[in-house]
Amino acid sequence: MAQVSNDAMERKPKIKKDGVKPHIVTFIASIILTIIAFMATAYEVIPAGFTVPFIIILAIVQAAFQLLVWMHMDQKGHEFARVGIVTGSAVVLVTIIAFVTTLW
Amino acid sequence: MSDHTSHAPNRSGLWDWLTTVDHKKIGILYLIAGGFFFILGGVEAMLIRLQLIYPEAKFVAAGTFNELITMHGTTMIFLAVMPVIFGLMNAIVPLQIGARDVAFPFVNALGFWLAALGGLLLNTSWFLGGAPDVGWTAYATLSSNHKFSTLGTDFYVLGLQIAGLGTLIGGINFLVTIINMRAPGMTFMRMPLFTWSSFVTSALILFAFPALTVGLVFLMFDRIFGANFFNPDAGGNIVIWEHIFWIFGHPEVYILILPAFGIISEVVSTFSKKRLFGYSSMVFATILIGFLGFMVWAHHMFTTGLGPIANTLFGIATMLIAVPTGIKIFNWLLTLWGGHIRFTTANLFAVGFIPTFTIGGMTGVMLAVPPADYQYHDSYFVVAHFHYVIVGGLVFGLFAGLYYWWPKMFGKLLNETLGKWHFWTFFIGFHLTFFPQHFLGLMGMPRRVFTYLPGQNLEMGNLISSIGVIGMALGSIIFAINMVVAAKSKKAAGNDPWDARTLEWAIPSPAPEYNFAQTPLVRGLDALWTEKMAGNKGMTPAEPLGSIHMPSPSFLPFLMSLGLFVAGYGFIYAGQWGTYIVAIAGIAFTLLCMLLRSLYDDHGYHIEPDEIEEKGVKA
Amino acid sequence: MAADHAVNTVLPDEPEKATLEGKNKVLGFWLFLGGETVLFGTLFATFIALRDQVNGGPSAQELFDMKIVAWATFLLLTSSLTSVFATMALHKHNLKAVQGWLVITVLLGLGFLGLEIYEFYHYVHEELGMTTSAFSSSFYTLVGFHGGHVAFGICWITGLIIQSMKKGLTVVTAPKFYVAGLYWHFIDVVWVFIFTVVYLMGMIGGKAVA
Repeated sequence: MAQVSNDAMERKPKIKKDGVKPHIVTFIASIILTIIAFMATAYEVIPAGFTVPFIIILAIVQAAFQLLVWMHMDQKGHEFARVGIVTGSAVVLVTIIAFVTTLW
Repeated sequence: MSDHTSHAPNRSGLWDWLTTVDHKKIGILYLIAGGFFFILGGVEAMLIRLQLIYPEAKFVAAGTFNELITMHGTTMIFLAVMPVIFGLMNAIVPLQIGARDVAFPFVNALGFWLAALGGLLLNTSWFLGGAPDVGWTAYATLSSNHKFSTLGTDFYVLGLQIAGLGTLIGGINFLVTIINMRAPGMTFMRMPLFTWSSFVTSALILFAFPALTVGLVFLMFDRIFGANFFNPDAGGNIVIWEHIFWIFGHPEVYILILPAFGIISEVVSTFSKKRLFGYSSMVFATILIGFLGFMVWAHHMFTTGLGPIANTLFGIATMLIAVPTGIKIFNWLLTLWGGHIRFTTANLFAVGFIPTFTIGGMTGVMLAVPPADYQYHDSYFVVAHFHYVIVGGLVFGLFAGLYYWWPKMFGKLLNETLGKWHFWTFFIGFHLTFFPQHFLGLMGMPRRVFTYLPGQNLEMGNLISSIGVIGMALGSIIFAINMVVAAKSKKAAGNDPWDARTLEWAIPSPAPEYNFAQTPLVRGLDALWTEKMAGNKGMTPAEPLGSIHMPSPSFLPFLMSLGLFVAGYGFIYAGQWGTYIVAIAGIAFTLLCMLLRSLYDDHGYHIEPDEIEEKGVKA
Repeated sequence: MAADHAVNTVLPDEPEKATLEGKNKVLGFWLFLGGETVLFGTLFATFIALRDQVNGGPSAQELFDMKIVAWATFLLLTSSLTSVFATMALHKHNLKAVQGWLVITVLLGLGFLGLEIYEFYHYVHEELGMTTSAFSSSFYTLVGFHGGHVAFGICWITGLIIQSMKKGLTVVTAPKFYVAGLYWHFIDVVWVFIFTVVYLMGMIGGKAVA
């Protein structure tokens, strides 16, 4: 099942779309998002009530960046990876909502 | 072809079973472990019913009764039916999808040994100061505070932690097997229903068991390290345990029942000589049940006081599950309708399953109504409900599956006459035991009490219920005898004793270690039946006869599990005589085994075509 | 199945998915990460529920040193980037580069772990023990679980670097590198939520949520 075809012997690995650029962009984006989140809590630039949802959204954006670009979850052949992470996240979301709203 | 044309390692007897990575042998190991724990749980059940046979009986003490109900529930759910389900999944799923093996044979073996040794650890508590006595749900603070519970609860925590780990990796193994290892032409929408339900069950395991892991960690930290998760005095919250337990616990119910749905679908279709009615709606219903299974856990907590909105939402979500379940029940009935029905034992269990499970489902909908649930809660009505679902549903399904696939697993048919005796004694015994419990509950008998007073109209129901146990015990004994009779029988079952429809019946019984000499080409739903209808003798191969690569057996899965087993005792007796060293040593030993596994690549061995032909590839 | 067949031939483009074993490993690991999501999610949910229950002990606001957290975040984020570079080197079949980037990843991971150990040590001296309050229990358990994952990852990747010196880059070792990379990224993703939910929200104080 693991036969390497003959032409694979000749050719050099071709670098696909997987260039350095998107990864560096993700890194810079992560740094910026992190700094914004730290700033938003350190100096009360936005009203205190909005800070929590704001930084949580920043975290979700950053996580999505890293999952999709760094972990290649956006690429073909990752359908079940997506199903796995999305389903896991959905279970977590329901859990957190229940814990926040129904505990006494 | 390769520099590793080593031959099958010569291993036999116990050593073979301790080191096997063959999914069919692991399936048998699961059945043995499940059967052993089924006997333990069954004996516990008989003692419970003995104690409740008449008012103020004194067969067992109140404390012992608490241990019995806790261990009966825990053993039956985690250690008896789960292993039997995994046993059937192991034995059958790879065959149904035309695979030579599972995706991770080594992990598969590890999953078994963790589950078995975790169960053993839990049950050694009987001899080491008493079994857990806080109910199988182990609600805090009863379970989290040493003032209220014994060392038994530590056995519960560590035993389930280890067994749960095994189940989790077993689930991942089956997900990957079904996604990646299907034979050519075996598309998702051609997969037999048992494979489909195993797939969804494995997905539920993947997303439900980590919650249990976390819950047990909290409980362990509270008990051993003095953490405050469930300690209200220090700001802890006991409702968190209830939530976490049921976030795991309710999907667990579907983890149990879905494979039974799959088995019934196969059996009913085979013995009606008809294609399963509404195949795609069955698949859809299975997925939908799995999905909704995560949205309903709080219906176990209606009386906790979560508020009317939460109760309403969870109540409605629960009732919604009746829709896909109803689809399934009607599909089974319509499969039987107009079919050429053969009432073999497997089919008897399947046909017995349908009304019994429907009753369990109906009482489930009753319980889903929050205001009504305040009346039913913690009464025998609930006990009756979940036994109708788990015994009348799941256990009937498992018996159907065992009678159906026994020839594929062992090459011998179970005796049909004994089988019918088994069915009728078990079926009647079951209804005698649990039907009266509905009324006992409605009359106000609370569950988990070790006795009741005379003169409250509870005598008759309890007496009938206890008598019914005889039927179930008799049925189980007949089944055990049947296994021996089958083993001694000289008559081989042949490839396809039932004139069945799916791929596993295209190969010899029992299946050879490589399953398929040539990977089959699947050309339709009910792969074998498609070929039969086309006038072909067997499956069309998708590849020429060639050398087959097999994974080497390994002792490491057992050793890894043993490391955690020993570490479990270290934690249970934590702080007593410096036992942390035992815990650390056990975990270190397991990690060392993992390192060895990583360092030494398994090159496996090959079975050559001439060897395959010797064994006969008539199929 | 026959992973060993291809060992001596030239590597294909994506060596981690060249064999069925490799594909199985990558898929199985992704699914495992789905399970890990639930594991950490449950820990998060519990922390969110208990984070204001300080029981007279120190609260998050009194305790947290954001400078350490910022440095820890930076170290882990950078280590995630270097493990991306390792995976890219893997696709270029450059074993030396893979090993080099992974060594940097491990060193950054060790730096992170050192900061966390220092932080915990510091908090214990500030009278925040495991048994102090429900807040402390859930804090140490959540952050400690993450730290445990980092520690395991460091050992794992170190083991891979060492065994690759002898085994080289093959269709057997490639999936191991790839999967370890996924694991390391996932740890960083979890940390994003930890610094947000535990530390930043801790500095705001519990009143806004829960």
